[in-house]
Amino acid sequence: MTNLPLWLIPLFPLVGTVLLGAIAVISSGSKKGPAEGIVGFLAVIFPVLAFASVVLLAWGMPTEGLRQTLCNWIDIPLFKVDIGFLFDGLSRIMLLFVTGIGSLIALYSIGYMHGDRGFARFFAYINLFLFSMIVLVLSDSLLLTFLGWEGVGLCSYLLIGFWNKDLSNCKAANKAFIVNRVGDIGFLLGMLCLVTVGGSEILNYDSLSAFIQMLIAGGHVEIVLPLLSLAGLLFFIGCTGKSAQIPLLTWLPDAMAGPTPVSALIHAATMVTSGVYLLARMGNLFSLLPVVLLIITLIGLATAFWAAVAGLFQNDIKKVLAYSTISQLGYMFMAAGVCAFDASIFHVFTHAFFKAALFLGAGAVIHALAGEQDMRKMGGLLRKTPVTACVMIFAFFAIIGFPGFAGFWSKDLILERLYTSGSLGPIFYGVGLLTAVITAIYMSRLIILTFFGSYRGSKESEEHIHEAPASMLLPMVVLSIGAIFAGYFWADSLGITMFKDSLAPVLSTAQSGVAHVHVNPIIFAGLGTLAALLGMFIALKVYGNARVPAAKGSSAPEGFKADWTFFFDTIHKFCGIIPVAVLAWIVDMVVEKILQAAQWMVGAIAEILGDGVATFQVRKVRLQLALSVAGVAILVAVVLLTGGSI
Amino acid sequence: MALEAIYVQVLALILFSIGLIVAIARRNVFFVLMGVEIALNAVNLSFVGFAKTLPADLSVAGQIVPLFSIAIAAAEACVGLAMVILIFRNRESVDADTYSNMKG
Repeated sequence: MTNLPLWLIPLFPLVGTVLLGAIAVISSGSKKGPAEGIVGFLAVIFPVLAFASVVLLAWGMPTEGLRQTLCNWIDIPLFKVDIGFLFDGLSRIMLLFVTGIGSLIALYSIGYMHGDRGFARFFAYINLFLFSMIVLVLSDSLLLTFLGWEGVGLCSYLLIGFWNKDLSNCKAANKAFIVNRVGDIGFLLGMLCLVTVGGSEILNYDSLSAFIQMLIAGGHVEIVLPLLSLAGLLFFIGCTGKSAQIPLLTWLPDAMAGPTPVSALIHAATMVTSGVYLLARMGNLFSLLPVVLLIITLIGLATAFWAAVAGLFQNDIKKVLAYSTISQLGYMFMAAGVCAFDASIFHVFTHAFFKAALFLGAGAVIHALAGEQDMRKMGGLLRKTPVTACVMIFAFFAIIGFPGFAGFWSKDLILERLYTSGSLGPIFYGVGLLTAVITAIYMSRLIILTFFGSYRGSKESEEHIHEAPASMLLPMVVLSIGAIFAGYFWADSLGITMFKDSLAPVLSTAQSGVAHVHVNPIIFAGLGTLAALLGMFIALKVYGNARVPAAKGSSAPEGFKADWTFFFDTIHKFCGIIPVAVLAWIVDMVVEKILQAAQWMVGAIAEILGDGVATFQVRKVRLQLALSVAGVAILVAVVLLTGGSI
Repeated sequence: MALEAIYVQVLALILFSIGLIVAIARRNVFFVLMGVEIALNAVNLSFVGFAKTLPADLSVAGQIVPLFSIAIAAAEACVGLAMVILIFRNRESVDADTYSNMKG
C-alpha cells in the first residue's frame, strides 16, 4: 500500500470541510440546526481516514522518504514553484500526531459541542484546520508551507471567535490574527531573502539542503552569511508569531476564549508547534548561523521562564494551561537553539499528548461545572469526576517530568543537550531546571485547587456536577495513555532510540556540527526528578492547606501579578499599538482636513467658472444646434482655404 | 446611363441638408429627432455611393462602416426616443424651445 498518493491525506479533511460547510450553510435558516448524529459522523470520519492513510504510508516508507509533485503552481520567468509533497521521517511524526490527535479531539468535540447551534460550522472549521495543518507539514517547499501556515492562522482566528456573540471573544480572535500577521511578515521577508541568495528554486527544502551543502563544500558560507543570518532571523520572527514566543506571545492566553477542544488541538498540540517544525525542517540552514541559534536559545529560555512564572499567577484553569504551553514551547525552542532538533521534535511529540490530555481534562471540568473556569471556585472534584481527575493527574505527572512519564524523557533530553551545548551550557541548564521547578509548582497548584480540598462553589451548583459523556472520556483516556507511554519511543537510559533513528535521515546533517560530549544520563534524570519533586513539595506546602481567597468578579490576576502577566501586552501597547495609532491619526488628519480642503477648492473653482460660462448659454436648443453647425461650417471653410496649415 | 459618383453624393448632400434644416427649423422635438436620423442616413448613403463607384479594393470600408453605423443608429434611436419620452413626461410639452433649464 505504499503507492498511496500523498495528496490523499490533505484531500480527506478538505472533502470534510466542503461537506460540513455545505451542511452548515444549508441548515443556517432552520431553527433547530442539522442532525448532530450525521454531522458528528462526518466530522470524525474524515480525520480518521486521513490518519489511516498516514499510518499506511508510514508503515512502508523508504528511509529517504517519499516525494510527489502534484502540479505546477507558479511558473513565470525567474520564479517557479510546484505543488509537491514530501513525506519523510520528520513529516511522518508530525502527521501521525496531527491527524491522530485531531481525530481524537474531533470525537471529543461531539460531546463538548453538543447542543451548540454552530455544531456543523465548528466541525467544518476543525476539518479546514486539519487540512491546512497537513499542507503545512506535508509540503515540500516553503511557499506551500506558507499557504498552510496562513490557513492554520485563519482557522485559529475563526475558532477563537467561534462564539462571536461575545465581543471579547471577537477581540481575542482579532488579536491572535493580527499578532500572527506580524510574524507572517517575517516569514515572507525570510523567503524573499532566501530567493535573493539562491533563486526561487531553493524555496524547495531538498534544493535548499543541496544549496547549503554546495556552499559548505565550496567554502562560500562566509560570503552569504549576513544574508542567510537575516533570512534565519526573519524566519524565526515568523516562528515566534506562530509559536507564541517573546515578543509575539500575548495572543495565546487570550486565544483561550475559544471552545476548549480548539485550545487543546490548535493552541496546545498542533498549530503552535509549527514554528518548531519549521526550525527543524530548515535545520540545515539554521545550523550554519551561530548568532541566530544563540538568539533562539535565549528567546526560548526567557519565554519558558517568564511564562512559567506568569502561569503561577493565573486563576483561570485554561489560562494556566495556556502559559504552560508557552513555557513548554520555550523548551522546544531552547533545544532547537542548541541544534538538538530531534530532541525538540520529541518534546513536540510528547507535549502534544499530555497537553491535549490536560486541556481536554480542563474542558471536562468546565463542562462538569457548567462553564465555570475560575479555579478558586473549584476543588474536591476528585470524588465527583474520578476519570477526568485521573487523566489530568497522569498528564500532570507527564508535564512536570515525573520519572517514567512522557515529559520526563523529552524534557531531560532537552536539558541534557542544553548542558552539553558549549561554554554557556551550564547557565542554560540552570535556568531550564529552575523553570522545571516552577512548572511543577504551578501545575501542582492547578491540580490541588481543582481536584483536592473541598468544593468552593455554591451549593446548588454542586449537585449538578457530573462526569463527562463517553465520547469525551474515550479520547481523554487514550491521550492519557499516550502521556504515560509516549516517552518510551526514545529512552536513552533504557537504550531505546527508535524516535531518534526515524528522524536521523532528515536531521543528521543539521546536527552533525554539534560536538557530542558523553554525559551520564542518570545524573540528569536524577536532577530532573528532583526538580519535579521539589516543585510538588513547595506547591503542597504553599497551596495544600492554605485558604484559597474567595473569588471576586474577574479571574484576571491583580497587582504585581497583573504587571508580570501583562508585561508584554504593555510593551506591545507602547512599541506597536500607540505608534500605529498616532500614525493613523496623522494620516487621518491629512486626508480629512488637508486633502479635503484642496478637493473643495478645486470644486469651488469649477463651480464659479461654470456659473460664469452658463451666462453664454442661449435659451433655445435649436439655436444652439444651428450655431454649432455654423461653427463647424466655418471651421471647415477655414481649413479648406488655408490648406490646413495654420 | 452610367452611375456617376457625383450623382449619389449630390443626393446625399440634399438629404443631409433636409435633415439639418428639419432639425433646426422644427420646434417639435420628435421632428428634430427625425431630422437628425435623416442626416445620419445621408452620410451612410454617401459611404455606400463611394463604395459603389470607387475601384473594388478601396471600397471595402465603404461597405462595412455603414453596417456599423446603422447598428449604432438603431441603439441611438432607442436611447433618444426614451429620453424624449422622459423629457415629455417631465415637461408636458414637445416644444424643444421650452427645454431651457440648462441656462442658469
